[in-house]
Amino acid sequence: MLCENCKERQASVILMQDTPTGSIERNLCEKCAFNLQTFSISPNQEPMSIQQFLSQWLSGSEALQQQTREVQTMPECPECGLTFHRFLEIGKFGCPTCYETFRERLPKVFGKLHNGNTIHKGKIPASFNEKMTIKKKIEELRATMQETIQEEQFEQAAVLRDEIKDWKQKLAKEIEEGGSAHGE
Amino acid sequence: MGNNRFMQNAVTGWMVPHGEHSDIVMSTRIRLARNIREFRFPIAFSDEQAEEVGKIVSEALLSTDEKGYSYTRMKELSQLDRQVLVEKHLISPQLADAEQFGSVFLSEDETISVMVNEEDHLRIQCIYPGLQLESAYQKANETDSALEKKLPYAFDEEFGYLTSCPSNTGTGMRASVMLHLPALTITRQINRIIPAVSRLGMVVRGSYGEGSEAPGNVYQVSNQLTLGKSEKEILAELANIVSRLIAHERRSRELLLEKSRIALENKVFRSLGTISYARLLPSAEAARCLSDVRLGIDLELIEDVDMTILNELMIFMQSGFLQHYEGEELTSEELDISRAKLFRERLKNGPSLDEKQKDNT
Repeated sequence: MLCENCKERQASVILMQDTPTGSIERNLCEKCAFNLQTFSISPNQEPMSIQQFLSQWLSGSEALQQQTREVQTMPECPECGLTFHRFLEIGKFGCPTCYETFRERLPKVFGKLHNGNTIHKGKIPASFNEKMTIKKKIEELRATMQETIQEEQFEQAAVLRDEIKDWKQKLAKEIEEGGSAHGE
Repeated sequence: MGNNRFMQNAVTGWMVPHGEHSDIVMSTRIRLARNIREFRFPIAFSDEQAEEVGKIVSEALLSTDEKGYSYTRMKELSQLDRQVLVEKHLISPQLADAEQFGSVFLSEDETISVMVNEEDHLRIQCIYPGLQLESAYQKANETDSALEKKLPYAFDEEFGYLTSCPSNTGTGMRASVMLHLPALTITRQINRIIPAVSRLGMVVRGSYGEGSEAPGNVYQVSNQLTLGKSEKEILAELANIVSRLIAHERRSRELLLEKSRIALENKVFRSLGTISYARLLPSAEAARCLSDVRLGIDLELIEDVDMTILNELMIFMQSGFLQHYEGEELTSEELDISRAKLFRERLKNGPSLDEKQKDNT
């Protein structure tokens, strides 16, 4: 079935929408569901879809009222406008910034989905790794510089200060290259 | 170019019966989900952003060392062409639905596909025949490492690779192995195995996705967790479960042969008869018979049928392929007639298309 709204994509979610004449069922694609203002969702996808999983959690009995209030006071994502409430309903993030916006709530979500795990342990992109290495290097040099100052070896400290400056420039360049590579 | 050419093109890298345990393991697939920083995910992006993502991904991919990618936009393909790509497992059904901005880069041997603007900006897929988890991951990882030099990936120190669906966050990796498990199915042991495997953080499902039955006794086993474990750990755990399933299947086959050889021979030869002579062949029956004949070949009960033909027929029996082959839309009865005809011809023909192709060159 095609999405009622855009009539282009396959409908993958059923929404119950409240209208003055009662609630009506609407068949929408994920994208239109994302953009719709108010709805509650009942997914018709896989037997145990992620939407179902998360929305069950949303309506879970534990301290429901308080939790709902908390969820509703969460800020919406400044980049795509997704609220945490809506995230739980559709089970999808709208953009990378959502992770930043909802950071404090996410360990609980991931814990449920990934068997208690909340921290990434796998591959790290090389460019990201380089930045991490440089940051660590600067920290180390700073610590050594503090020591040399306390020991009043000021010549040595000056050498270290220059070295830190060089690394900082390299770091700035890394960040700049990483951030502007898509041509903004 | 006639139908023969189409049929030759229809055979793709992963369908040849090579690789370890290729009598039981049909294929290994690795999929990596990646996104680009400062762009919304496909569920929320604007048309301009969608175009831009397509553009920068193709620039990045075409400037890597890997040459010979073909580039196809979904909107340039008919619905039937898209369905054929799905049936060959080269694109996901979801990409086929992304008519407007979805596209795919396929490597020359069709083992690597990079899907653009599916659920995530990028889905890097590597599919190999047989059981090859390590090498399939290596290949997908190479492609990923080449791309990450050009593309600013959305990555977070705490959460890893950021994906649209929280079930992919972390490694973004889904590793899956397609297994032919007729003996475990016949003896109904599979019903006990599926829930046991899911307690170990893995999922078993029918080969055509979520919740489906297992037509042709083909099952897909894949990892469920993507966060908190390294790619290596996930692959090792999956390999462990797969090797136990293989051992279990082999034991059950031996037992079946020992306890009820005649009944088993009867079953596989009847099925060979059906697919060799039927005039109407519904897809469920075709899948069941192919599974029996495959088992018969594995157990050396059937000796004069080439396994490659069976691998081809598994793909060709699907409705997208048949309609493509006949060059027109078919009703369900016409599909059954066409399927029966194709099976009769292929099983009479002897050498596989693959060998014919080699002879021609």
